[in-house]
Amino acid sequence: MSLADTSTASPVAPRPSHRGRFWWFSEILPFAVGILIWQALSSLNVWPRVLFPSPLEVAQAFVEDIASGVLPVNLGVSLQSLLLGFVVGAAIAVPLGYLMGLNRAGRDFFDPLVNLLQAIPGLAWIPFAILWFGLGQGAVTFIIVMSVFFPVLHNLLTGIRMVQPVLIEAVQTLGAKRWAVIAHVIFPATLPNLMTGIRLGIAFGFRSLVGGEMIASTNGLGYAIFNAQQYFQSARIVVGMLAIGITWLIMDRFILRPIEQRTTMRWGLVREGIETA
Amino acid sequence: MTDILVAKDISKTYFDTVAKDDVVALSGVSLSVAAHDFVSVIGPSGCGKSTFLRIVAGLDTPTSGEILVSGKKVSGPGADRGMVFQEYALLPWKTTETNIEFGLRLKGIPKDERRKIAHRFIELVGLKGFEKKYPHQLSGGMRQRAAVARVLANNPTVLLMDEPFAAVDAMTRQRLQEELTAIAASERTTVLFVTHAIEEAVFLSNRVVALSGRPGKVIADIRIDLPRPRRWEELVRDQRFIAYRDELTRCIHGNAPVHGNHA
Repeated sequence: MSLADTSTASPVAPRPSHRGRFWWFSEILPFAVGILIWQALSSLNVWPRVLFPSPLEVAQAFVEDIASGVLPVNLGVSLQSLLLGFVVGAAIAVPLGYLMGLNRAGRDFFDPLVNLLQAIPGLAWIPFAILWFGLGQGAVTFIIVMSVFFPVLHNLLTGIRMVQPVLIEAVQTLGAKRWAVIAHVIFPATLPNLMTGIRLGIAFGFRSLVGGEMIASTNGLGYAIFNAQQYFQSARIVVGMLAIGITWLIMDRFILRPIEQRTTMRWGLVREGIETA
Repeated sequence: MTDILVAKDISKTYFDTVAKDDVVALSGVSLSVAAHDFVSVIGPSGCGKSTFLRIVAGLDTPTSGEILVSGKKVSGPGADRGMVFQEYALLPWKTTETNIEFGLRLKGIPKDERRKIAHRFIELVGLKGFEKKYPHQLSGGMRQRAAVARVLANNPTVLLMDEPFAAVDAMTRQRLQEELTAIAASERTTVLFVTHAIEEAVFLSNRVVALSGRPGKVIADIRIDLPRPRRWEELVRDQRFIAYRDELTRCIHGNAPVHGNHA
């Protein structure tokens, strides 16, 4: 028996690191281009300032809103609603997903209910949210829970259905019983779909956050955007919109991606992309 | 030698949901496997040989008949009947090392000890240096070596193999077959091997059992009396090897094969 097996060994070569000296350049380039185009369009002076604020005005409003404390406060309120709503929604969706995916009785009972409810947008719950919780963060959080719940559940169920039976059978012939199968096969195998569900859940949560705060609240980023429009402060509208976008970028970059790089990407279940020749 | 695995009159009928009809896959298959023997089950596709192996593994239930392993009736899958699949079936989230020691972990063997056992089998199958790699970083041949080591490290009563080399290229396949005969001999492993390739069965086995087309019934049971270790470059020209192959081919296809190059 030979040790080095050159005839059959064609392991995947380690991906070259693209973190050279100028790695930051590729990260900021798309944004720089976007801002340049924006500045060029606003320099044409085709539209009145109030309809199309320039990047500079937005930057000024951004600095002002940070200095006055308005932006940090609204951002804090929104993040709190979003995180609480997400945690509660996911904390119900994930166990229910495994219960439905791994148990026929659970599936038979909950599937019709879930199907009925999932077509109803989170925002349709606004009237009841206000009646039950009054105007404010409670109502907004409730709407976010309703929005986060379904994408997380739906993607998790898809993931459970996609687990390869041969993996389960293989560990059974190694002596694995039900709980070992769930812990060592089903849970890791569903992680890519769970991550997709979490991403979509947060994205849906943001939507409902803004919509909910516009109608059912008196603070938060959504309220700030809505309020700025009332006073024709269009630069402030953009500040609110950008704050949401940047918040998402940070969450994606520093929380979700590192998790994926350490799990699903490392295991070869998910790739960065497919480069065709 | 004692019979460590006994299949008694196994029949399997299942309902074909497309054809909306009962299909008899296996009809009264009886087979005993002695300890340390290497037995192959061959037959045309659809003869139920894989179903038979799955029934032995406890992954399928027979319509009638029973399987005894070490005298105990099989009622479900268990660590005494480890299986190697055509699709490797390694866990993508575990490294070579942690895949191979997985069965030992389930048995509650302490980490140091199971790592020692895993490393012995990693060396045995020639995967030294690849302990920390994930399955997607290994070639097909290496993945199947790891899958074999994973079952062997778990010390099963019988090693079940379901066309394990069907997915690898021809050169790798011959090499894996040679390695498997050597390992089975040195480890004194009891092997039940399913394949549709007659030459593979003759090359590997001490005994070849042929099943007929559907429904599968035993139509031949031949002892292969060839010296070990076995090497392809010697056996392809060996008259006894050719005679066994031709006899089994006649059994299965009902006519004599064309002689010629069959490497």
